[in-house]
Amino acid sequence: MNRADKIGYGLSGALHVGVLFWVIAGGQWFFPKPNEPVVISQVAVMSEQDFNTMMASAPKDAPQPTPDSVAPTAPDTPAETTPPPETPAPEPQAKPEPEPQAMQQPDPAPDAQPDVSALQEPTPPAEVSDTPPEIVPPVEEPSPTVTPDISPAPKPKQAPRVAPTPAPEPPPEAKVDPQAQPQEAPKPADTPDQPVEKPKEATAPPEASTEIVTEANKTEDKPESSAPLASPRPSAKPKPPAPKETQTAAAPAEKKPAEPKPAETKPAPSEPKKVDSASVNDALAAALGGEGTGGTGSAPTGPPITAGEKDALIVDIKQCWNTGALSSDALRTTVTLSVDMQPDGHPIISSIKLVGATGGTGNAVDQAFEAGRRAIVLCGSDGFPLPPEKYDRWKTITIDFNPEKMRMK
Amino acid sequence: MMRFVLSLLAAVMLAPIAATAQDSEPLHIEITDGVIEPMPFAIAGFIPETQEAGQMASQITQVISSDLTGTGLFREIPKSAYIQNVSSFDTPVKYSDWQAINAQALVVGSVGMQGGKVVVKFRLFDVFSGQQMGDGQQLAASPASWRRLAHKVSDVIYSRITGEGPYFDSRVVFVSESGPKDNRQKRLAVMDYDGANVTYLTDASTIVLAPRFSRDGTKVLFTTFETGFPRIKMLDVATASARLLPEVPGTMTFAPRFSPDGTKIVYSMEQNGNTDLWMMNISSGQTQRLTTSPAIETSPSFSPDGSRIVFESDRSGTQQLYIMPASGGDATRISFGDGRYSTPVWSPRGDMIAFTKQNQGRFHIGVMRTDGSEERLLTSSFLDEGPTWSPNGRVIMFTRESPGAEGSASLYSVDISGRNLKKVSTPGAASDPAWSPLLP
Repeated sequence: MNRADKIGYGLSGALHVGVLFWVIAGGQWFFPKPNEPVVISQVAVMSEQDFNTMMASAPKDAPQPTPDSVAPTAPDTPAETTPPPETPAPEPQAKPEPEPQAMQQPDPAPDAQPDVSALQEPTPPAEVSDTPPEIVPPVEEPSPTVTPDISPAPKPKQAPRVAPTPAPEPPPEAKVDPQAQPQEAPKPADTPDQPVEKPKEATAPPEASTEIVTEANKTEDKPESSAPLASPRPSAKPKPPAPKETQTAAAPAEKKPAEPKPAETKPAPSEPKKVDSASVNDALAAALGGEGTGGTGSAPTGPPITAGEKDALIVDIKQCWNTGALSSDALRTTVTLSVDMQPDGHPIISSIKLVGATGGTGNAVDQAFEAGRRAIVLCGSDGFPLPPEKYDRWKTITIDFNPEKMRMK
Repeated sequence: MMRFVLSLLAAVMLAPIAATAQDSEPLHIEITDGVIEPMPFAIAGFIPETQEAGQMASQITQVISSDLTGTGLFREIPKSAYIQNVSSFDTPVKYSDWQAINAQALVVGSVGMQGGKVVVKFRLFDVFSGQQMGDGQQLAASPASWRRLAHKVSDVIYSRITGEGPYFDSRVVFVSESGPKDNRQKRLAVMDYDGANVTYLTDASTIVLAPRFSRDGTKVLFTTFETGFPRIKMLDVATASARLLPEVPGTMTFAPRFSPDGTKIVYSMEQNGNTDLWMMNISSGQTQRLTTSPAIETSPSFSPDGSRIVFESDRSGTQQLYIMPASGGDATRISFGDGRYSTPVWSPRGDMIAFTKQNQGRFHIGVMRTDGSEERLLTSSFLDEGPTWSPNGRVIMFTRESPGAEGSASLYSVDISGRNLKKVSTPGAASDPAWSPLLP
């Protein structure tokens, strides 16, 4: 007999024994238990006297029903001593008179509840003295005054966001990122390039207006791929006028003194940038075989004008572009004007010139040019909304005045 | 693989250079929409150079202001807002003072009397550019023509600012109406474009319709019922004398219009129940039949160069607009919209055709390109009809009749943009306007 067979026989025998045991003795254990005996509570009928005595001893809240039934009787006399023989009879009488008297009865009620009255005694004097305590409520009101304490905190936060015109500053930096990306093409330093993204975020956050936030979001998307591009910036920054950068940087710094992150992030990125720019410049110089250093000097300047900034400029100018008095021919003429700008955003009127025109005759071109020039002069009198730190980008602006949408249709 | 790596490396290295080149370009933007609003202007006053010119100077200033603001393209700044007091014609202009009140154009002038004539001098300034627009001008006329002087000044200002041709110094011939609808009396009248200086050319003894100016403005063609049937008559505006044009017995002639050169007349003639277009040489009286369709052809109008004629015909079953050579021949239909088109008139500039459209119980004045494209309706009312172009092709005048037994006809004008719809002031009811060319 194999061992397996032995085990099989053994198990079989054990199972059979178990079954027999369950048949013989299992009945005692597995029969359903009989239902627990129902507990029957003895209910005794309470007599009216007992009920009245119980009600008399009950707390004052109960009395109201009794007064209703007893209302016709004198309130002073304790109801306990005169148990009404028939409870149903009083109900109809109680309905008509009731409420006014019931309101007066509370006075006697305290008598029936000495304990409560005793506790309430201190309160009445308190009520008398409440007249002065009226001062207390004002004291409680002050609690709302606590809000002012809270308000000051948010105000300063919001003020810097909305009030500061510097709002435009953040977008510029966001744009800086995109440009930097192309320059970072040199992959040599991959890891150091990524940290450069942080400085970008740090610059954007300062004036976190809603618009700026959107731009920041855009920059966040770009950085991942363009992180290394930031490296060329360092080389470009030294060239542009130092005061401009310092002004822009200073403004946000003053507004948000409590924000340490931006300050920390800026220095951090700068270091890797320098390394990257140097290495990149060297690499480019070597690759181009000579003038590497001069090329990256990026004489032109820093970040480009963002689409949002362009749109803001367009919106500003088109408000003054009045085509109502233009002739039909002029409305079919597109003119391109060029204007030189001052760093403060004001156009140099004398520099406005006609660069080109299409679709019209000489006279129509003149009219279209005058309308465009008038728009620049009118809306430029207050300065155009352009980021000062990008002045090199908009020193000269060319504008196409295309009246296609303004034609008579 | 090696080549690919090298190419990639080269591209990476050159990318910054390309970006730098692109960055160096000036900021460039395109503006495709602006605002349409009246241009604010100021008339510093036409200073009277002599005492007797004082009243006339005030009147001339008022007419100029009315002309410019009446276009809907200009808005006069109240004199109470003026900062600089211009005391003489040669007073230097303080542009800053006029910029402060947002005056974009400034007119400075003077009125004097020399040799029994009124002399008007004026200059126009572009305030925001701080320079004069064009040269100053001096005009002279008899005192009786002071309104024409004012209109001339307005025309110069209007043209210099807008680039459009002038039209203020023009006249309008129309049918003046009086009496109830069932017994309406009509007579020809002529007035300044703004309703002033109304002069009656005919009496109310017979019904007259559809007057049309000649290209030089000296003659008027119109339809008269003095013989009991519609006949064409030509009237000399200067003398108010008129004569019937030659006729073919048993026919009715109507809807005449001069050719651009003034030597011919195109008109409709009903003969044996059929109405066709005909051409007549004014001097010789020779006629030429232009259409032979059994349909009704009428309301012909020459193109400015005289080479084509636009007219209405129901040859397709409904009234539509057609264009054909001035010598007749095949006609091309140009209107295809819903409703019926009638009374086409070619723009003096030749680029558009004005018409009357009836659709869904409403009448409209509209314009379209000469090929029928870009149709746009400028008005809508119970009854609008009979458009006529201003000399510069920028404004259309037409007849609007109000409904009901008490309704009457009035003249209205509208810019071809559809803006500035306004009623033209006339002594009474008026209809069938025809704009003259610009007066010499």
